[in-house]
Amino acid sequence: MQYEENIRLAIRGLVDHKFRSFLTMLGIIFGVASVIAMLSIGEGAKRAAIAKYQDLGVNNVIIREKKLSDQELEEVRAKFSQGLSIQDANVIKEVVPGVVKIASQSEISTEAKYADKSVKSTVIGITPEYVELLNYKTAKGDFITANHYERNLKVCVLGAGVAATLFRNEDPMGKMVKLEDQWLEVVGVLESKMLFTETVGELAARDLNTDIYVPLTTFLKRFTHENTLESEIQQITVQVDNSDKLVETSQLIEAILQRHHFNNSDYNIVIPYELLRQEEKERQIYNFLLGAIAAISLLVGGIGIMNIMLATVMERTREIGIRRAIGARKNDIMGQFVTEAVAISITGGIIGVILGVSLSLAVSLFTDVETYIRPYSVVIAFGFSVLVGIAFGYLPAKNAANLKPIDSIRYE
Amino acid sequence: MLIEIKNVSKSYVMGEVEVPALIDINLQIRKNEYVAIMGPSGSGKSTFMNILGCLDTPTQGEYLFHKTDVSSLSDDALSTMRNKEIGFIFQNFNLIPKLNALQNVELPLVYSGIKSEERRERALKALSRVGLSDRIHHKSSEMSGGQRQRVAIARALVTNPGILLADEPTGALDSKTGDEIMALFDELHKEGNTIILITHEQEIANYAHRTIHIKDGMIHSDTMNKVRNATTATIQLLNS
Repeated sequence: MQYEENIRLAIRGLVDHKFRSFLTMLGIIFGVASVIAMLSIGEGAKRAAIAKYQDLGVNNVIIREKKLSDQELEEVRAKFSQGLSIQDANVIKEVVPGVVKIASQSEISTEAKYADKSVKSTVIGITPEYVELLNYKTAKGDFITANHYERNLKVCVLGAGVAATLFRNEDPMGKMVKLEDQWLEVVGVLESKMLFTETVGELAARDLNTDIYVPLTTFLKRFTHENTLESEIQQITVQVDNSDKLVETSQLIEAILQRHHFNNSDYNIVIPYELLRQEEKERQIYNFLLGAIAAISLLVGGIGIMNIMLATVMERTREIGIRRAIGARKNDIMGQFVTEAVAISITGGIIGVILGVSLSLAVSLFTDVETYIRPYSVVIAFGFSVLVGIAFGYLPAKNAANLKPIDSIRYE
Repeated sequence: MLIEIKNVSKSYVMGEVEVPALIDINLQIRKNEYVAIMGPSGSGKSTFMNILGCLDTPTQGEYLFHKTDVSSLSDDALSTMRNKEIGFIFQNFNLIPKLNALQNVELPLVYSGIKSEERRERALKALSRVGLSDRIHHKSSEMSGGQRQRVAIARALVTNPGILLADEPTGALDSKTGDEIMALFDELHKEGNTIILITHEQEIANYAHRTIHIKDGMIHSDTMNKVRNATTATIQLLNS
């Protein structure tokens, strides 16, 4: 048939009535822009969450010492609990089925010094398994190895932030850093990590870039906690072979620890994966709401198109009559007006896509909110705008096609 | 026989009353005839033109065009008939204002699905036939009444239709321009076109070779006009 002709006519119609077409498009523009912006903000939040939990390991169960006041600590010790210990880790490893790896860590907060510079940091004593449990990568050198661990070597791996503050442009590898009264050799520097700014479950927010890692053996030998009642280690990370068994495993761990700590609950058990799932569920409701708002906006846009198309058909009754008289079939007229409606909605859709993409880029540039535009969201938003054009152009076009040629040709 | 109309009646339903507009019309028109259909307003003349032009179908009777019964055709088939066989020329030209002369003339060919180069070629030919080769890019607002009517005639001619159906073609023109248009019709008739003229002016009807008077929905008279020159007389003789 004559699609090109219809498309040419539709474009002419748009250009001839720029302002009117623009006003008509506004609904679609805002609809499409909001769909894209909302989806990108939702997706950004999702990715940030996944990244955050990936740092904690999606197959991990984390057992963390509970923060207790000195008085509470005394009470707990009086009731025979020694707090988290390497012994606990060993029992879990032996008794709980499905545990692949287990890593204990002990921590103190202290100043790290190099030359005339110093920085606040968290010194963490770890076992060689640690790096395999968590998603850490070194930018330079190695992480703590079995060799370091077994030989109690005085070595350390610096977080990116610590390395940057202490060494600026110098290469930290092989240099000696002073922690408390100990000198340790730098054997590695970590890649910069995203700021762990949110509290996840019982895990407090902290900046991973200020960490300094040393072998646990070295740590226990060279560093002491300020409070002597402090438990031996602060965290045990347990990796399970199957994420379906996380809840089960954590219940078993809970039972074991309860017995070993004489019913003192001086620890918390966190399952990052479960928290991620919960968060996702909450976000789903939120996404649904945003989707509904976008849908309403597209609906309003569609009604706007229908309104203007009905007016256009009225205004052009005579033209329709002429076209029918010289041989246009009903379908030709129908096609002409549907194409016009779709041209409005597609143009609106394109402007909406541009606006939506710029909006989400602006949001991630000027605010802390992360956004991510998935190609499919652009396709969906654009596809909907086309559908709206067809759906809401249909009725006016049908009206146009059903005009009687004898009446319409004499219409003044 | 080009057109055969047998016992055609048309009535409209107004509320609960059936109002007859045409009553038992019988008529034959040959190829290359030049016929004027006359009648006062309300005589059924317009209804008759609508049926002839396939814009409307009769309530009763048969309308044979090239031996096909038009009265039973679907809406799409009627559209195709109008497109291929009828060339409409209206009193108020009925050009599409935002299209230029060339685009207006091309329009019927668009609906017959003809490719753009051929469309353009044929439209240019039709425009040059009516003497408007130098106005092809003008819109109707940039042309005089006479020029607009020439564009409309070119649009009617471009599909090589079976009949040219002109509804008061000079009604909106001054008499000098009207005469020019009628002279153009004369030429087109001589070139072999069949022309049906609907008018209420005797002067215009006189250009035709046959006059049919319609009154109260019936054919009142059907007479041959005095032939004005030898050429047309010869053609008429050859045709009969």
